[in-house]
Amino acid sequence: MNQKIIFIFLLAFLFYLTSQTVVPGQSKDEIDALKKEIMKTKPGTSTFLLRGYAHSGLEIMDDNSSFVGGSFNPIFLWRQSSKLLFESELELELEDGETVIGLEYANMSYFLNDYITLRLGKFLIPFGTFGERLHPRWINRLPSNPLGYSHDEQVGPSSQVGIEIRGAIPVLTGYGINYSIYLVNGPNLNDGSIEPEEAGKLHYDNFLDNNKNKAIGGRIGFLPLSDATLEIGFSGQFGKVGNTGSQYEDVSAKLYAFDLSYVKMIKELKSIIDLKGQLNIVEVDNAEYVTGDDPNGMYSFDNVSKAYYGQISLKPAFVKNEILNHLEFVGRYSKLLLPSKAAWGGEKTQLTFGINYWIDWRTVVKFGYQTITVDSNPGLPVTNSFLLHWSIGF
Amino acid sequence: MKTKIINSVLVVSFFALLFYGCSTYKEITSKSGAQLWGENCVRCHNAPSPSAFSDTEWETIAQHMRVRANLNSTQVNKIVDFLKMAN
Ligand code: HEC
Repeated sequence: MNQKIIFIFLLAFLFYLTSQTVVPGQSKDEIDALKKEIMKTKPGTSTFLLRGYAHSGLEIMDDNSSFVGGSFNPIFLWRQSSKLLFESELELELEDGETVIGLEYANMSYFLNDYITLRLGKFLIPFGTFGERLHPRWINRLPSNPLGYSHDEQVGPSSQVGIEIRGAIPVLTGYGINYSIYLVNGPNLNDGSIEPEEAGKLHYDNFLDNNKNKAIGGRIGFLPLSDATLEIGFSGQFGKVGNTGSQYEDVSAKLYAFDLSYVKMIKELKSIIDLKGQLNIVEVDNAEYVTGDDPNGMYSFDNVSKAYYGQISLKPAFVKNEILNHLEFVGRYSKLLLPSKAAWGGEKTQLTFGINYWIDWRTVVKFGYQTITVDSNPGLPVTNSFLLHWSIGF
Repeated sequence: MKTKIINSVLVVSFFALLFYGCSTYKEITSKSGAQLWGENCVRCHNAPSPSAFSDTEWETIAQHMRVRANLNSTQVNKIVDFLKMAN
């Protein structure tokens, strides 16, 4: 009997103890207050994230030097649900002494299923990889862009308004393929009526279409190895580029790109090797343009432009030396071939070497030495420049 | 006749590659989150350290990267679980 009473007493005592799981030194009220505080920061289903990057630099050429850039790109991300994402990037930069605001992209993505994502709005065009994946200042391994891959002397589209489906499909070997198919306004043709020296050139900032025809394009990327180190991509974009109602109405452009990426850790060198390359080809149908000096004189030319680059970088990230493992060594060869008979034609070669110091994974100081040779005019001197840029991502 | 043979060889090798692809794909989806992170997140930029962001931030970033890098949900979910665990 006594044993029974002791047992019941012990059980009651144990029950009392376990119901009072108070951490020593903290009262129940304090814990309740803490719980409330935590609940306050509990995110809802819709979350917002503000990220971005900034950059500036110093460029020293043969006969002048200047601080450049001073750009700031905020990126706004709204994750509405597990199926819906909105992304937008603004570019605020100094151009000719004025602050210019540009809308890099603003679009929403809806995950229809595991293999298809639908995108609507203004997006970076997956034409090759430089424009969509490698151009941000903290990603680009060098302080400059390859020839033909920036706004001046652009060969190939960068960002456009339209509709796109994209995704990855586990077919073939390795990581399979990834794809994108899109419909956008497409570039428009400068027919030279206002700027004769630009006749035959394509303008890619065509945000209100100049014709009914939409450009259709896409990219297919193959990741044939099971460790995702290699990717090979083919892109194309096709559409009419002339103004409706003009004699250029039926002029079309065919754009092609081929890209390659190989990133691998080389154990023997305790380094990461990174190879990147891209070739862009822009073919515009032949058309007759007015010559600048004689309004009745017409001329035509083979309107094909090409821009390509190959880049190699080595990052000894796994060596013990604390300075060496923050460094990266980069070399790039780039070439621009514009139609020789066009007023804006010509041929240029750019060679760039760089050493980067990575402060963290997306903050970098880049030192570069670059030469640009105008091959189509051997009389012009080679431009040499020293480039010092810094960029930070947040 | 000759073209018929060539065509059937092509068709057969296409399907063989497809099935081989599916089997290697299984290998890929059975990889750990850490390995998928190591293989995928260095392809375009330096791989971010898991401690760079909070759990909720990683969820949004992963969705952003799922679109940008054309990754599928199985891979992304495994990578996010790893990042959340290791941050
Ligand atoms: C196909 C190329 C590519 C791959 C692969 C890739 N990223 Fe990115 N990542 C980018 C680009 C491009 C940006 C910059 C976005 C911009 O500026 O528009 C970026 C930005 C980021 C950012 C900055 C915040 C943001 O969302 O913009 C983080 C963090 C990030 N990536 C993490 C990852 C992780 C984690 C992985 C692996 C799952 C990954 N990335 C794989 C291309 C890639």
